Amino acid sequence: MNRHIDPGSMRTDDGIEKGGLLLQVDNISLSFGGVKAITDVSFDIRKGEIRAIIGPNGAGKTSMLNVINGFYHPQEGTITFRGERRDQMKPHQAVGQGIARTFQNVALFSGMSTLDNIMAGRAVMMKKNIVWQLLWHGPALNEEIQHRARVEQIIDFLEIQHIRRVAVGKLPYGLQKRVELGRALAMEPSLLLLDEPMAGMNLEEKEDMCRFILDVNQQFGTTIALIEHDMGVVMDLSDRVMVLDYGKKIADGTPDDVRGNQDVIDAYLGVPH
Amino acid sequence: MDLLNNLFIKPFQDMVSAPDFLMQVIWEGLVSGVLYALIALGFVLIYKSSRIFNFAQGIMVVFAALTLVGLHERGVPALLAVPLTLLVMFILAAAIERIVLRPLVNQPDIILFMATIGITLFLIGFGELIFGGENKVMITEDLMIPTGSYVFEPFGGFVLIEQKDLTAVVGAILLVLVLLLFLNRSKMGRAIRALGDDHQAALSVGISLSTIWVLVWFIAGIIALATGIVWGARAGVSFALEVIAFKALPVLMLGGLESVTGAIVGGLAIGVLEKLFEIYWGQPLLGGNTETWFAFVFALIVLLFRPQGLFGEKIIERV
Repeated sequence: MNRHIDPGSMRTDDGIEKGGLLLQVDNISLSFGGVKAITDVSFDIRKGEIRAIIGPNGAGKTSMLNVINGFYHPQEGTITFRGERRDQMKPHQAVGQGIARTFQNVALFSGMSTLDNIMAGRAVMMKKNIVWQLLWHGPALNEEIQHRARVEQIIDFLEIQHIRRVAVGKLPYGLQKRVELGRALAMEPSLLLLDEPMAGMNLEEKEDMCRFILDVNQQFGTTIALIEHDMGVVMDLSDRVMVLDYGKKIADGTPDDVRGNQDVIDAYLGVPH
Repeated sequence: MDLLNNLFIKPFQDMVSAPDFLMQVIWEGLVSGVLYALIALGFVLIYKSSRIFNFAQGIMVVFAALTLVGLHERGVPALLAVPLTLLVMFILAAAIERIVLRPLVNQPDIILFMATIGITLFLIGFGELIFGGENKVMITEDLMIPTGSYVFEPFGGFVLIEQKDLTAVVGAILLVLVLLLFLNRSKMGRAIRALGDDHQAALSVGISLSTIWVLVWFIAGIIALATGIVWGARAGVSFALEVIAFKALPVLMLGGLESVTGAIVGGLAIGVLEKLFEIYWGQPLLGGNTETWFAFVFALIVLLFRPQGLFGEKIIERV
């Protein structure tokens, strides 16, 4: 379905075979003062899969993503990403290692155009001397052109050519979500964290987003961790599902395993704790 | 009838009958306008990258000028004192980031604004402690700024342009050009704009909050030094300089807080308009000294029609 993009060219090579361990989280506990957001959760993400994290509101899903990309620092536990073991991530480390993410409540640079927003995703990759950048000449210009070409591919892929120059603050919500995905893709991540990519969308927008997520996963080989409330979407898209409730892991397995799990059903229907 | 004549006819007759004087007035206005624009630029830069209204920009001007003159007084050659002052401004920027801004990340804007008032008070005390509170003279000649003047005689009249004012204008133009290139062309510039829009998102694409903040405060420091030299050469270096920071407020209202172009155009416009108003309306009709308030009234009137200022980003709100 996609004519403009060469899948091989965007595949990040991190030396891990498909199905190998990409991220492992061990015994993570996170609390804010007296509030325990996450209690002793361990799970792993394998290369090339779509891994869903589900659970009722306040279960600690977003906190878990924030721990993985370094926004929150857990009090206990370790994070092993691409073979490197750490007590905590820092945001720039996470980015440098190839973790990109989107946010539950769209976090875009609203005064900037779609193009600039996606270009911002490539900021860390631009290394040329600032003097060249100012002169707008020589190596820096070549570099800018290269990155720009890649960004145009992403814009084509997400079918947002028509809003290239529009300030993203003016765009409808569904398109903003798509631009946000574009910015994350521009980082050519090996692990992509999506925090409720379909929240607040209508059916058609959801279908589009599903298609993009599957394409990203299959064509670019990007591993995806996804938080989503729409169970239909989760069960269709994901390879494995982890369920959190009150900060604890209550189930982990294939969509079918999780669907039949009594704890999960209780958590969603509400049983006194 | 007389009043109407004085308001709407006589000033323009005066302008036409003495065009050389009019040119002199406009030139003087432009020079102070350049200074307002420079100060406003310092505000804009910090506001763009962090949504902090930096109350301390005025005192940073004084502090930079004081450091320069103070170092020279202690026997440092002028041309060495400039890079040393820049170093001091860099250390100041790093210290502000580490001690004041970092612990306050994610706090409401008003708290950060209060913190910059704190920085202002600290710099006043610290500056007086080290360099003393008495007025100083800017080391104009040691910095090799020419002090002569050119005289033109257009329309058989007489216009005097001081070389140090001309240097100030040319210097300011160069500074602004480099700054514009930096903001629009470099990846740092993009990062600065990005950071102002959304901290979280900026962090998630690998933009470092602390690096950019230090950088931006340092650039504001460079601008402060330039302003300090220029203004100091005209009016001497004293803590009274700080009040010109308040002149930047109407410039910012006029130009919009996010716009570099706005700061420049707003600064020049206010500089020229307040001079014209003072000479042709203020002195004959209101007994003079209108320059202290004209800018504020003018900005207020503009705000009535354009709440985001003349060049501000459109206020976009979706519900």
